[in-house]
Amino acid sequence: MKTMKPLLRSLVIPSMLFLGACCCANEVVVAPPPPPPPPVKVVLPGLGDVFYDFDRSELRADAITQLKTNANWIQANSSNNVIIEGHCDERGTSEYNLALGERRANSARDYIVNLGVAPVRLKTVSYGEEKPFADGHNEEAWAQNRRARFVAE
Amino acid sequence: MIQFFRHVVPGTVVVLFFLFFFPLHLTAVEAGEYIAIRKEGSGNIALVLDRLGADGKKESRFAQGIDTVMHDGLDFTGLFSLISPPLNVKDNSDGKHVAINFGALTSVGAEVYAGGVVTMKSNLFNLNMEVYEASGSKLLFKKTYTGKEGELRSIGHAFCADLVELLTGKRSVFGSKIVFVSNKTGCKEIYECDFDGQELEQLTNSRSISMNPTLSPDGRHLAYIDFTSGRSTLYIRNLAERKIAAVAKSGVSIDPGWRSNSEVAATLSFDGSQGIYLIKTDGSISRRITNSKSIDISPTFSPDGSKMAFVSSRNGLPQIFVEDLQSGEVKRLTFSGRYNTQPSWSPIGDKIAYTTWEKSGEINIFVINADGTGLVQLTQKCGENKSPCWSPDGEMIVFTSNRQGKEKMYVMNSKGGKERLLLQGDGEQTQPSWSLFR
Repeated sequence: MKTMKPLLRSLVIPSMLFLGACCCANEVVVAPPPPPPPPVKVVLPGLGDVFYDFDRSELRADAITQLKTNANWIQANSSNNVIIEGHCDERGTSEYNLALGERRANSARDYIVNLGVAPVRLKTVSYGEEKPFADGHNEEAWAQNRRARFVAE
Repeated sequence: MIQFFRHVVPGTVVVLFFLFFFPLHLTAVEAGEYIAIRKEGSGNIALVLDRLGADGKKESRFAQGIDTVMHDGLDFTGLFSLISPPLNVKDNSDGKHVAINFGALTSVGAEVYAGGVVTMKSNLFNLNMEVYEASGSKLLFKKTYTGKEGELRSIGHAFCADLVELLTGKRSVFGSKIVFVSNKTGCKEIYECDFDGQELEQLTNSRSISMNPTLSPDGRHLAYIDFTSGRSTLYIRNLAERKIAAVAKSGVSIDPGWRSNSEVAATLSFDGSQGIYLIKTDGSISRRITNSKSIDISPTFSPDGSKMAFVSSRNGLPQIFVEDLQSGEVKRLTFSGRYNTQPSWSPIGDKIAYTTWEKSGEINIFVINADGTGLVQLTQKCGENKSPCWSPDGEMIVFTSNRQGKEKMYVMNSKGGKERLLLQGDGEQTQPSWSLFR
Protein backbone atom coordinates (compact mmCIF):
# COMPACT_ATOMS: atom_id res chain seq x y z
CA MET A 1 0.00 0.00 0.00
CA LYS A 2 2.80 2.40 0.95
CA THR A 3 4.37 1.97 -2.42
CA MET A 4 1.05 2.81 -4.16
CA LYS A 5 0.89 6.41 -2.86
CA PRO A 6 3.88 7.84 -4.70
CA LEU A 7 2.82 5.87 -7.75
CA LEU A 8 -0.68 7.41 -7.69
CA ARG A 9 0.80 10.85 -7.07
CA SER A 10 3.09 10.43 -10.01
CA LEU A 11 0.08 9.50 -12.16
CA VAL A 12 -2.25 12.24 -10.89
CA ILE A 13 0.12 15.13 -11.51
CA PRO A 14 0.85 14.36 -15.19
CA SER A 15 -2.84 13.68 -15.84
CA MET A 16 -3.78 17.09 -14.38
CA LEU A 17 -1.12 18.74 -16.48
CA PHE A 18 -2.43 16.90 -19.52
CA LEU A 19 -6.00 18.07 -18.90
CA GLY A 20 -4.81 21.60 -18.28
CA ALA A 21 -2.82 21.55 -21.47
CA CYS A 22 -5.89 20.40 -23.39
CA CYS A 23 -7.93 23.35 -22.06
CA CYS A 24 -5.15 25.77 -22.89
CA ALA A 25 -4.80 24.27 -26.33
CA ASN A 26 -8.42 25.12 -27.04
CA GLU A 27 -7.87 28.78 -26.20
CA VAL A 28 -4.73 28.97 -28.26
CA VAL A 29 -6.61 27.75 -31.33
CA VAL A 30 -9.32 30.40 -30.90
CA ALA A 31 -6.92 33.32 -30.58
CA PRO A 32 -6.71 35.23 -33.90
CA PRO A 33 -3.38 35.73 -35.62
CA PRO A 34 -1.82 39.14 -34.95
CA PRO A 35 -2.77 41.73 -37.58
CA PRO A 36 -0.08 42.42 -40.17
CA PRO A 37 1.94 45.53 -39.32
CA PRO A 38 0.78 48.64 -41.22
CA PRO A 39 2.93 49.48 -44.24
CA VAL A 40 5.75 51.75 -43.18
CA LYS A 41 6.07 54.91 -45.24
CA VAL A 42 9.59 56.28 -45.48
CA VAL A 43 10.78 59.47 -47.05
CA LEU A 44 14.12 58.44 -48.53
CA PRO A 45 16.93 60.88 -49.30
CA GLY A 46 16.74 62.17 -52.81
CA LEU A 47 12.98 62.42 -52.80
CA GLY A 48 12.19 66.01 -51.86
CA ASP A 49 9.15 68.28 -51.58
CA VAL A 50 8.45 71.12 -53.98
CA PHE A 51 7.08 74.52 -53.06
CA TYR A 52 4.62 76.94 -54.64
CA ASP A 53 3.73 80.61 -54.72
CA PHE A 54 0.52 81.87 -53.13
CA ASP A 55 -2.66 80.71 -54.91
CA ARG A 56 -0.51 79.07 -57.60
CA SER A 57 -0.09 75.52 -58.80
CA GLU A 58 2.41 76.38 -61.55
CA LEU A 59 5.94 75.03 -61.00
CA ARG A 60 8.72 77.43 -59.99
CA ALA A 61 12.34 77.01 -61.21
CA ASP A 62 13.40 75.51 -57.85
CA ALA A 63 10.50 73.07 -58.07
CA ILE A 64 11.59 71.87 -61.49
CA THR A 65 15.13 71.14 -60.24
CA GLN A 66 13.71 69.12 -57.36
CA LEU A 67 11.24 67.28 -59.58
CA LYS A 68 14.08 66.14 -61.87
CA THR A 69 15.86 64.73 -58.80
CA ASN A 70 12.61 63.06 -57.71
CA ALA A 71 12.06 61.54 -61.15
CA ASN A 72 15.57 60.05 -61.11
CA TRP A 73 14.99 58.63 -57.65
CA ILE A 74 11.69 57.05 -58.65
CA GLN A 75 13.26 55.52 -61.77
CA ALA A 76 16.11 54.15 -59.65
CA ASN A 77 13.82 52.72 -56.96
CA SER A 78 11.44 50.67 -59.02
CA SER A 79 10.08 48.78 -56.00
CA ASN A 80 8.57 51.95 -54.52
CA ASN A 81 5.43 53.69 -55.62
CA VAL A 82 5.04 57.31 -54.65
CA ILE A 83 2.20 59.38 -53.18
CA ILE A 84 2.24 63.07 -54.02
CA GLU A 85 0.36 65.12 -51.40
CA GLY A 86 -0.86 68.63 -52.28
CA HIS A 87 -0.82 71.12 -49.39
CA CYS A 88 -1.77 74.78 -48.96
CA ASP A 89 -1.20 77.49 -46.41
CA GLU A 90 -3.98 78.41 -44.00
CA ARG A 91 -5.06 81.54 -45.88
CA GLY A 92 -8.10 81.55 -48.10
CA THR A 93 -10.94 79.13 -47.45
CA SER A 94 -10.53 75.43 -46.76
CA GLU A 95 -12.81 74.39 -49.67
CA TYR A 96 -10.80 76.44 -52.16
CA ASN A 97 -7.54 75.11 -50.75
CA LEU A 98 -8.70 71.51 -51.18
CA ALA A 99 -9.09 72.22 -54.90
CA LEU A 100 -5.78 74.12 -55.06
CA GLY A 101 -3.94 71.31 -53.26
CA GLU A 102 -5.04 68.81 -55.88
CA ARG A 103 -3.79 71.13 -58.64
CA ARG A 104 -0.39 71.36 -56.95
CA ALA A 105 -0.11 67.58 -56.62
CA ASN A 106 -1.21 67.17 -60.25
CA SER A 107 1.26 69.73 -61.62
CA ALA A 108 4.12 67.91 -59.88
CA ARG A 109 2.85 64.52 -61.10
CA ASP A 110 2.39 65.70 -64.68
CA TYR A 111 5.93 67.03 -64.78
CA ILE A 112 7.60 63.81 -63.69
CA VAL A 113 5.32 61.74 -65.93
CA ASN A 114 6.63 63.88 -68.80
CA LEU A 115 10.15 62.94 -67.68
CA GLY A 116 9.27 59.30 -68.25
CA VAL A 117 7.96 58.01 -64.91
CA ALA A 118 5.07 55.54 -65.34
CA PRO A 119 1.81 57.16 -64.16
CA VAL A 120 0.74 53.93 -62.40
CA ARG A 121 3.54 54.40 -59.88
CA LEU A 122 2.19 57.78 -58.78
CA LYS A 123 -0.86 58.56 -56.65
CA THR A 124 -2.03 62.07 -55.74
CA VAL A 125 -4.03 63.29 -52.76
CA SER A 126 -4.99 66.80 -51.66
CA TYR A 127 -5.04 67.78 -48.01
CA GLY A 128 -5.73 71.44 -48.72
CA GLU A 129 -4.88 73.40 -45.57
CA GLU A 130 -5.76 70.51 -43.24
CA LYS A 131 -2.24 69.21 -42.49
CA PRO A 132 0.17 72.14 -42.19
CA PHE A 133 3.90 71.46 -41.64
CA ALA A 134 4.68 74.75 -39.91
CA ASP A 135 2.29 76.15 -37.30
CA GLY A 136 3.09 79.85 -37.56
CA HIS A 137 0.81 82.52 -39.00
CA ASN A 138 3.41 84.33 -41.10
CA GLU A 139 4.91 84.12 -44.59
CA GLU A 140 7.75 81.91 -43.35
CA ALA A 141 5.28 79.26 -42.19
CA TRP A 142 2.95 79.75 -45.15
CA ALA A 143 5.80 79.26 -47.64
CA GLN A 144 6.62 75.95 -45.93
CA ASN A 145 3.01 74.85 -46.13
CA ARG A 146 2.46 75.53 -49.85
CA ARG A 147 3.99 72.29 -51.06
CA ALA A 148 3.70 69.02 -52.88
CA ARG A 149 5.03 66.37 -50.58
CA PHE A 150 6.58 63.18 -52.01
CA VAL A 151 6.05 60.06 -49.90
CA ALA A 152 7.51 56.67 -50.94
CA GLU A 153 5.28 53.67 -50.28
CA MET B 1 -71.59 91.57 -52.38
CA ILE B 2 -68.10 92.44 -53.56
CA GLN B 3 -67.38 93.84 -50.12
CA PHE B 4 -68.62 90.61 -48.61
CA PHE B 5 -66.26 88.51 -50.71
CA ARG B 6 -63.34 90.77 -50.12
CA HIS B 7 -63.64 90.33 -46.37
CA VAL B 8 -65.06 86.91 -45.85
CA VAL B 9 -63.44 84.78 -48.53
CA PRO B 10 -59.80 85.37 -47.58
CA GLY B 11 -60.70 84.88 -43.92
CA THR B 12 -62.47 81.64 -44.77
CA VAL B 13 -59.49 80.40 -46.73
CA VAL B 14 -57.21 81.12 -43.80
CA VAL B 15 -59.57 79.38 -41.37
CA LEU B 16 -59.82 76.37 -43.63
CA PHE B 17 -56.03 76.34 -44.00
CA PHE B 18 -55.51 76.31 -40.25
CA LEU B 19 -58.28 73.78 -39.67
CA PHE B 20 -56.65 71.54 -42.23
CA PHE B 21 -53.19 71.73 -40.69
CA PHE B 22 -54.15 72.00 -37.03
CA PRO B 23 -57.43 70.13 -36.87
CA LEU B 24 -57.46 69.22 -33.21
CA HIS B 25 -56.85 72.24 -31.09
CA LEU B 26 -57.51 75.36 -33.02
CA THR B 27 -60.72 77.10 -32.13
CA ALA B 28 -60.48 80.64 -33.38
CA VAL B 29 -58.29 82.13 -36.05
CA GLU B 30 -58.45 85.29 -38.03
CA ALA B 31 -54.89 85.71 -39.02
CA GLY B 32 -54.95 87.00 -42.58
CA GLU B 33 -55.61 90.63 -41.80
CA TYR B 34 -52.95 90.78 -39.15
CA ILE B 35 -50.21 89.58 -41.48
CA ALA B 36 -51.21 92.29 -43.96
CA ILE B 37 -50.87 94.98 -41.31
CA ARG B 38 -47.43 93.71 -40.25
CA LYS B 39 -46.05 93.66 -43.76
CA GLU B 40 -46.66 97.36 -44.14
CA GLY B 41 -44.97 98.20 -40.87
CA SER B 42 -41.27 97.78 -40.30
CA GLY B 43 -39.19 96.96 -37.26
CA ASN B 44 -39.90 94.52 -34.50
CA ILE B 45 -43.28 93.37 -33.28
CA ALA B 46 -43.98 94.81 -29.82
CA LEU B 47 -45.07 91.73 -27.88
CA VAL B 48 -46.18 91.21 -24.32
CA LEU B 49 -45.57 87.57 -23.43
CA ASP B 50 -47.47 87.26 -20.17
CA ARG B 51 -46.48 84.94 -17.34
CA LEU B 52 -48.34 81.67 -17.71
CA GLY B 53 -51.04 80.90 -15.22
CA ALA B 54 -50.77 77.61 -13.31
CA ASP B 55 -52.31 75.96 -10.24
CA GLY B 56 -50.31 73.38 -8.35
CA LYS B 57 -46.59 72.78 -7.85
CA LYS B 58 -45.88 70.69 -10.93
CA GLU B 59 -47.90 72.95 -13.17
CA SER B 60 -46.11 76.04 -11.86
CA ARG B 61 -42.69 74.52 -12.39
CA PHE B 62 -43.62 73.47 -15.91
CA ALA B 63 -45.08 76.91 -16.63
CA GLN B 64 -41.86 78.58 -15.48
CA GLY B 65 -39.81 76.32 -17.74
CA ILE B 66 -42.07 77.02 -20.72
CA ASP B 67 -41.92 80.75 -19.95
CA THR B 68 -38.13 80.67 -20.26
CA VAL B 69 -38.15 78.53 -23.41
CA MET B 70 -40.70 80.78 -25.16
CA HIS B 71 -39.04 84.00 -24.03
CA ASP B 72 -35.56 82.86 -25.15
CA GLY B 73 -36.96 81.42 -28.39
CA LEU B 74 -38.87 84.54 -29.41
CA ASP B 75 -35.94 86.73 -28.40
CA PHE B 76 -33.61 84.57 -30.57
CA THR B 77 -35.64 85.28 -33.71
CA GLY B 78 -34.91 88.99 -33.44
CA LEU B 79 -38.42 89.66 -34.74
CA PHE B 80 -39.87 90.87 -31.46
CA SER B 81 -39.47 93.63 -28.95
CA LEU B 82 -40.45 91.77 -25.80
CA ILE B 83 -42.20 94.12 -23.36
CA SER B 84 -42.58 93.10 -19.71
CA PRO B 85 -46.25 92.61 -18.88
CA PRO B 86 -47.65 95.66 -17.07
CA LEU B 87 -48.62 94.93 -13.45
CA ASN B 88 -52.30 95.54 -14.15
CA VAL B 89 -52.43 93.44 -17.33
CA LYS B 90 -54.92 91.08 -15.69
CA ASP B 91 -58.17 92.71 -14.62
CA ASN B 92 -60.53 90.94 -12.25
CA SER B 93 -62.26 94.02 -10.91
CA ASP B 94 -65.65 92.38 -11.17
CA GLY B 95 -64.33 89.66 -8.80
CA LYS B 96 -65.57 86.83 -11.01
CA HIS B 97 -63.31 86.16 -13.97
CA VAL B 98 -60.00 87.50 -15.12
CA ALA B 99 -60.00 89.71 -18.20
CA ILE B 100 -57.06 91.10 -20.14
CA ASN B 101 -56.58 94.81 -19.60
CA PHE B 102 -56.07 95.94 -23.19
CA GLY B 103 -55.84 99.57 -22.12
CA ALA B 104 -52.76 98.75 -20.04
CA LEU B 105 -51.27 96.86 -22.97
CA THR B 106 -51.66 99.69 -25.47
CA SER B 107 -50.30 102.20 -22.95
CA VAL B 108 -46.99 100.30 -22.79
CA GLY B 109 -46.84 100.19 -26.59
CA ALA B 110 -47.74 96.51 -27.06
CA GLU B 111 -49.07 95.45 -30.46
CA VAL B 112 -49.65 91.82 -29.57
CA TYR B 113 -50.43 90.03 -26.32
CA ALA B 114 -49.74 86.32 -25.77
CA GLY B 115 -50.71 84.53 -22.60
CA GLY B 116 -51.86 81.19 -21.42
CA VAL B 117 -52.48 78.61 -18.72
CA VAL B 118 -50.79 75.32 -17.90
CA THR B 119 -52.97 72.46 -16.67
CA MET B 120 -52.22 68.81 -16.04
CA LYS B 121 -54.16 65.69 -16.86
CA SER B 122 -52.91 62.12 -16.32
CA ASN B 123 -49.20 63.09 -16.35
CA LEU B 124 -49.60 65.16 -19.51
CA PHE B 125 -49.27 68.92 -19.50
CA ASN B 126 -51.63 71.10 -21.47
CA LEU B 127 -50.48 74.55 -22.51
CA ASN B 128 -53.50 76.63 -23.55
CA MET B 129 -52.28 79.69 -25.41
CA GLU B 130 -54.17 82.74 -26.61
CA VAL B 131 -52.88 85.58 -28.77
CA TYR B 132 -54.66 88.94 -28.97
CA GLU B 133 -54.19 92.06 -30.97
CA ALA B 134 -53.63 94.67 -28.27
CA SER B 135 -55.32 97.64 -29.92
CA GLY B 136 -58.45 95.89 -31.20
CA SER B 137 -58.59 93.42 -28.29
CA LYS B 138 -59.27 90.82 -30.94
CA LEU B 139 -58.44 87.13 -30.45
CA LEU B 140 -55.99 86.19 -33.21
CA PHE B 141 -55.13 82.67 -32.22
CA LYS B 142 -55.96 80.02 -29.67
CA LYS B 143 -54.39 76.60 -29.40
CA THR B 144 -53.67 73.85 -26.89
CA TYR B 145 -50.27 72.14 -26.86
CA THR B 146 -49.91 68.83 -25.07
CA GLY B 147 -46.80 66.98 -23.95
CA LYS B 148 -44.75 65.32 -21.23
CA GLU B 149 -42.55 66.99 -18.67
CA GLY B 150 -39.39 66.42 -20.73
CA GLU B 151 -40.84 68.05 -23.83
CA LEU B 152 -40.60 71.61 -22.54
CA ARG B 153 -38.53 72.82 -25.48
CA SER B 154 -40.58 71.24 -28.22
CA ILE B 155 -43.87 72.44 -26.69
CA GLY B 156 -42.60 75.96 -26.10
CA HIS B 157 -41.07 76.13 -29.57
CA ALA B 158 -44.24 74.78 -31.19
CA PHE B 159 -46.08 77.83 -29.88
CA CYS B 160 -43.22 80.14 -30.91
CA ALA B 161 -43.34 78.68 -34.43
CA ASP B 162 -47.12 79.19 -34.65
CA LEU B 163 -46.81 82.75 -33.35
CA VAL B 164 -44.11 83.71 -35.86
CA GLU B 165 -46.06 82.18 -38.74
CA LEU B 166 -49.24 83.89 -37.57
CA LEU B 167 -47.62 87.32 -37.39
CA THR B 168 -45.21 87.20 -40.32
CA GLY B 169 -46.84 84.67 -42.65
CA LYS B 170 -43.48 82.90 -42.97
CA ARG B 171 -42.05 79.70 -41.57
CA SER B 172 -39.73 80.18 -38.64
CA VAL B 173 -36.41 78.82 -37.38
CA PHE B 174 -38.04 76.73 -34.65
CA GLY B 175 -37.29 73.04 -35.11
CA SER B 176 -34.42 73.67 -37.53
CA LYS B 177 -30.92 72.29 -36.97
CA ILE B 178 -27.39 73.48 -37.58
CA VAL B 179 -24.66 71.01 -38.58
CA PHE B 180 -21.04 72.07 -38.27
CA VAL B 181 -17.44 70.90 -37.78
CA SER B 182 -15.65 70.97 -34.43
CA ASN B 183 -12.12 69.85 -33.55
CA LYS B 184 -12.77 69.58 -29.82
CA THR B 185 -11.78 65.88 -29.73
CA GLY B 186 -8.54 66.64 -31.55
CA CYS B 187 -10.02 65.56 -34.90
CA LYS B 188 -12.43 67.45 -37.11
CA GLU B 189 -15.80 65.73 -36.60
CA ILE B 190 -19.33 66.73 -37.56
CA TYR B 191 -21.85 67.82 -34.94
CA GLU B 192 -25.46 68.93 -34.93
CA CYS B 193 -27.28 71.35 -32.64
CA ASP B 194 -30.68 73.03 -32.54
CA PHE B 195 -31.06 76.44 -34.20
CA ASP B 196 -30.26 78.11 -30.86
CA GLY B 197 -27.11 76.11 -30.10
CA GLN B 198 -28.83 73.70 -27.69
CA GLU B 199 -29.09 69.87 -27.87
CA LEU B 200 -25.57 69.22 -29.17
CA GLU B 201 -24.98 65.83 -30.80
CA GLN B 202 -21.87 64.31 -32.44
CA LEU B 203 -22.68 62.83 -35.87
CA THR B 204 -19.33 61.43 -37.03
CA ASN B 205 -16.56 59.65 -35.15
CA SER B 206 -14.15 58.92 -37.99
CA ARG B 207 -11.04 60.23 -36.17
CA SER B 208 -9.89 61.47 -39.53
CA ILE B 209 -10.89 64.83 -41.08
CA SER B 210 -14.60 65.48 -41.66
CA MET B 211 -15.71 68.69 -43.37
CA ASN B 212 -18.47 70.71 -45.05
CA PRO B 213 -21.60 69.02 -43.64
CA THR B 214 -24.94 69.98 -45.17
CA LEU B 215 -28.46 68.62 -44.61
CA SER B 216 -30.87 68.02 -47.49
CA PRO B 217 -33.91 70.36 -47.49
CA ASP B 218 -36.11 67.60 -45.99
CA GLY B 219 -33.46 66.74 -43.41
CA ARG B 220 -33.29 63.10 -44.43
CA HIS B 221 -29.76 63.10 -45.82
CA LEU B 222 -26.46 64.51 -44.59
CA ALA B 223 -23.79 65.14 -47.21
CA TYR B 224 -20.21 65.71 -46.02
CA ILE B 225 -16.55 65.28 -46.92
CA ASP B 226 -14.39 62.81 -45.02
CA PHE B 227 -10.75 61.67 -45.31
CA THR B 228 -11.14 58.17 -43.80
CA SER B 229 -10.41 56.56 -47.17
CA GLY B 230 -7.10 58.44 -47.38
CA ARG B 231 -8.44 61.19 -49.65
CA SER B 232 -11.33 63.62 -49.47
CA THR B 233 -14.46 61.63 -50.28
CA LEU B 234 -18.08 62.78 -50.47
CA TYR B 235 -20.45 60.73 -48.33
CA ILE B 236 -24.25 60.90 -48.38
CA ARG B 237 -25.75 59.50 -45.20
CA ASN B 238 -29.41 58.54 -44.93
CA LEU B 239 -29.97 59.59 -41.32
CA ALA B 240 -33.06 57.46 -40.60
CA GLU B 241 -31.89 54.26 -42.28
CA ARG B 242 -28.23 54.73 -41.27
CA LYS B 243 -27.08 53.96 -44.81
CA ILE B 244 -24.03 55.71 -46.26
CA ALA B 245 -23.19 56.13 -49.95
CA ALA B 246 -19.64 57.07 -50.97
CA VAL B 247 -19.27 59.07 -54.16
CA ALA B 248 -16.49 58.76 -56.80
CA LYS B 249 -13.72 56.17 -56.63
CA SER B 250 -10.81 58.52 -57.22
CA GLY B 251 -9.77 62.14 -57.16
CA VAL B 252 -10.87 64.88 -54.81
CA SER B 253 -14.39 65.70 -53.51
CA ILE B 254 -15.14 69.23 -52.32
CA ASP B 255 -17.93 71.17 -50.53
CA PRO B 256 -21.38 69.67 -51.31
CA GLY B 257 -24.53 71.80 -51.66
CA TRP B 258 -28.10 70.48 -52.04
CA ARG B 259 -30.14 71.37 -55.11
CA SER B 260 -33.25 69.46 -53.98
CA ASN B 261 -34.14 66.57 -51.68
CA SER B 262 -32.88 64.12 -54.30
CA GLU B 263 -29.82 65.89 -55.74
CA VAL B 264 -26.65 67.28 -54.23
CA ALA B 265 -23.85 69.04 -56.12
CA ALA B 266 -20.13 68.88 -55.37
CA THR B 267 -16.76 69.32 -57.05
CA LEU B 268 -15.27 65.97 -58.12
CA SER B 269 -12.17 65.12 -60.17
CA PHE B 270 -12.52 61.38 -60.82
CA ASP B 271 -12.35 61.88 -64.59
CA GLY B 272 -9.07 63.79 -64.43
CA SER B 273 -10.28 67.39 -64.24
CA GLN B 274 -12.14 69.22 -61.47
CA GLY B 275 -15.77 70.09 -62.14
CA ILE B 276 -19.09 70.47 -60.33
CA TYR B 277 -21.39 67.44 -60.68
CA LEU B 278 -24.99 66.72 -59.71
CA ILE B 279 -25.19 63.55 -57.65
CA LYS B 280 -28.17 61.46 -56.54
CA THR B 281 -28.67 60.43 -52.92
CA ASP B 282 -27.58 56.86 -53.71
CA GLY B 283 -24.18 58.27 -54.69
CA SER B 284 -24.59 57.87 -58.45
CA ILE B 285 -23.61 60.73 -60.75
CA SER B 286 -26.40 62.60 -62.60
CA ARG B 287 -24.33 64.93 -64.76
CA ARG B 288 -21.45 67.40 -64.87
CA ILE B 289 -22.54 71.06 -64.73
CA THR B 290 -19.31 73.09 -64.96
CA ASN B 291 -16.62 72.73 -67.61
CA SER B 292 -13.90 75.31 -67.06
CA LYS B 293 -10.19 74.57 -66.72
CA SER B 294 -10.13 76.55 -63.48
CA ILE B 295 -11.22 75.81 -59.91
CA ASP B 296 -15.04 75.61 -59.66
CA ILE B 297 -16.34 74.89 -56.16
CA SER B 298 -19.01 75.53 -53.49
CA PRO B 299 -22.34 75.16 -55.36
CA THR B 300 -25.43 76.75 -53.76
CA PHE B 301 -28.83 76.86 -55.43
CA SER B 302 -31.76 79.22 -55.88
CA PRO B 303 -34.87 78.00 -54.01
CA ASP B 304 -36.36 76.55 -57.23
CA GLY B 305 -33.09 74.84 -58.17
CA SER B 306 -32.90 76.54 -61.57
CA LYS B 307 -29.79 78.61 -60.83
CA MET B 308 -26.50 77.85 -59.11
CA ALA B 309 -24.08 80.28 -57.51
CA PHE B 310 -20.53 78.95 -57.18
CA VAL B 311 -16.91 79.97 -56.79
CA SER B 312 -14.65 80.01 -59.81
CA SER B 313 -11.04 81.07 -60.42
CA ARG B 314 -11.66 81.34 -64.18
CA ASN B 315 -10.77 85.05 -64.11
CA GLY B 316 -7.78 84.67 -61.74
CA LEU B 317 -8.48 84.93 -58.04
CA PRO B 318 -11.76 83.31 -56.94
CA GLN B 319 -15.03 85.14 -57.58
CA ILE B 320 -18.71 84.20 -57.33
CA PHE B 321 -20.52 83.26 -60.56
CA VAL B 322 -24.15 82.32 -61.27
CA GLU B 323 -25.05 79.58 -63.75
CA ASP B 324 -28.47 79.05 -65.30
CA LEU B 325 -28.75 75.26 -65.27
CA GLN B 326 -31.18 75.12 -68.20
CA SER B 327 -29.21 77.26 -70.64
CA GLY B 328 -25.77 76.66 -69.13
CA GLU B 329 -25.15 80.41 -69.25
CA VAL B 330 -22.66 81.64 -66.63
CA LYS B 331 -22.47 85.23 -65.38
CA ARG B 332 -19.97 86.72 -62.97
CA LEU B 333 -21.78 88.02 -59.86
CA THR B 334 -19.09 89.72 -57.75
CA PHE B 335 -16.84 92.53 -58.97
CA SER B 336 -15.96 94.08 -55.64
CA GLY B 337 -13.31 92.38 -53.48
CA ARG B 338 -10.31 90.42 -54.74
CA TYR B 339 -10.98 86.98 -53.19
CA ASN B 340 -14.65 86.06 -52.88
CA THR B 341 -15.75 82.58 -51.81
CA GLN B 342 -18.34 80.62 -49.77
CA PRO B 343 -21.61 81.70 -51.41
CA SER B 344 -24.92 80.83 -49.70
CA TRP B 345 -28.21 81.38 -51.55
CA SER B 346 -31.06 82.52 -49.29
CA PRO B 347 -33.78 79.84 -49.09
CA ILE B 348 -36.55 82.43 -49.35
CA GLY B 349 -35.32 84.91 -51.91
CA ASP B 350 -32.78 86.00 -54.41
CA LYS B 351 -30.05 87.12 -52.03
CA ILE B 352 -26.63 85.51 -51.85
CA ALA B 353 -24.28 85.82 -48.87
CA TYR B 354 -20.54 85.28 -49.36
CA THR B 355 -17.15 86.12 -47.86
CA THR B 356 -14.49 88.52 -49.06
CA TRP B 357 -10.88 88.11 -48.01
CA GLU B 358 -9.73 91.70 -47.78
CA LYS B 359 -6.27 93.21 -48.23
CA SER B 360 -6.22 94.06 -44.52
CA GLY B 361 -6.34 90.32 -43.72
CA GLU B 362 -9.91 90.52 -42.48
CA ILE B 363 -12.47 88.16 -43.94
CA ASN B 364 -15.92 89.75 -44.08
CA ILE B 365 -19.42 88.67 -44.96
CA PHE B 366 -21.38 90.45 -47.70
CA VAL B 367 -24.86 90.00 -49.13
CA ILE B 368 -25.70 90.72 -52.77
CA ASN B 369 -28.84 90.29 -54.87
CA ALA B 370 -28.69 87.43 -57.36
CA ASP B 371 -28.75 90.02 -60.18
CA GLY B 372 -25.61 91.69 -58.83
CA THR B 373 -27.29 94.75 -57.31
CA GLY B 374 -27.68 95.80 -53.68
CA LEU B 375 -24.28 94.87 -52.25
CA VAL B 376 -24.25 95.17 -48.43
CA GLN B 377 -21.38 94.51 -46.01
CA LEU B 378 -22.54 92.68 -42.86
CA THR B 379 -19.35 92.31 -40.79
CA GLN B 380 -16.37 94.58 -40.31
CA LYS B 381 -13.34 95.10 -38.09
CA CYS B 382 -13.71 91.83 -36.23
CA GLY B 383 -11.14 89.42 -37.65
CA GLU B 384 -12.05 86.53 -39.92
CA ASN B 385 -15.76 85.92 -40.48
CA LYS B 386 -16.44 82.85 -42.59
CA SER B 387 -18.94 80.31 -43.92
CA PRO B 388 -22.20 82.32 -43.89
CA CYS B 389 -25.37 80.24 -44.16
CA TRP B 390 -28.98 81.47 -44.06
CA SER B 391 -31.63 80.41 -41.58
CA PRO B 392 -34.65 78.65 -43.14
CA ASP B 393 -36.73 81.84 -42.83
CA GLY B 394 -34.00 83.96 -44.43
CA GLU B 395 -34.05 86.29 -41.42
CA MET B 396 -30.71 85.23 -39.93
CA ILE B 397 -27.24 84.11 -40.93
CA VAL B 398 -25.02 81.69 -39.03
CA PHE B 399 -21.28 82.13 -39.56
CA THR B 400 -17.96 81.60 -37.81
CA SER B 401 -15.67 84.26 -36.42
CA ASN B 402 -12.32 84.37 -34.62
CA ARG B 403 -13.16 87.76 -33.07
CA GLN B 404 -12.65 86.37 -29.57
CA GLY B 405 -9.66 84.15 -30.36
CA LYS B 406 -10.77 80.68 -31.41
CA GLU B 407 -13.10 80.29 -34.36
CA LYS B 408 -16.69 79.93 -33.05
CA MET B 409 -20.21 80.01 -34.49
CA TYR B 410 -22.20 83.23 -34.33
CA VAL B 411 -25.60 84.31 -35.61
CA MET B 412 -26.72 87.72 -36.85
CA ASN B 413 -29.78 89.07 -38.56
CA SER B 414 -29.85 89.45 -42.34
CA LYS B 415 -28.83 93.11 -42.07
CA GLY B 416 -25.72 92.32 -39.98
CA GLY B 417 -27.20 93.36 -36.64
CA LYS B 418 -27.66 91.50 -33.36
CA GLU B 419 -24.49 89.45 -33.70
CA ARG B 420 -24.11 86.91 -30.91
CA LEU B 421 -22.18 83.76 -30.03
CA LEU B 422 -24.27 80.66 -30.75
CA LEU B 423 -22.46 77.92 -28.88
CA GLN B 424 -19.81 77.79 -26.16
CA GLY B 425 -17.55 74.75 -25.92
CA ASP B 426 -14.00 73.57 -26.42
CA GLY B 427 -12.11 73.68 -29.68
CA GLU B 428 -12.90 75.52 -32.86
CA GLN B 429 -16.23 75.44 -34.69
CA THR B 430 -16.23 75.78 -38.48
CA GLN B 431 -18.41 75.40 -41.59
CA PRO B 432 -21.93 75.68 -40.11
CA SER B 433 -24.88 74.79 -42.32
CA TRP B 434 -28.48 75.61 -41.33
CA SER B 435 -31.16 73.07 -42.24
CA LEU B 436 -34.45 73.95 -43.92
CA PHE B 437 -36.58 71.19 -42.44
CA ARG B 438 -38.61 71.29 -39.26
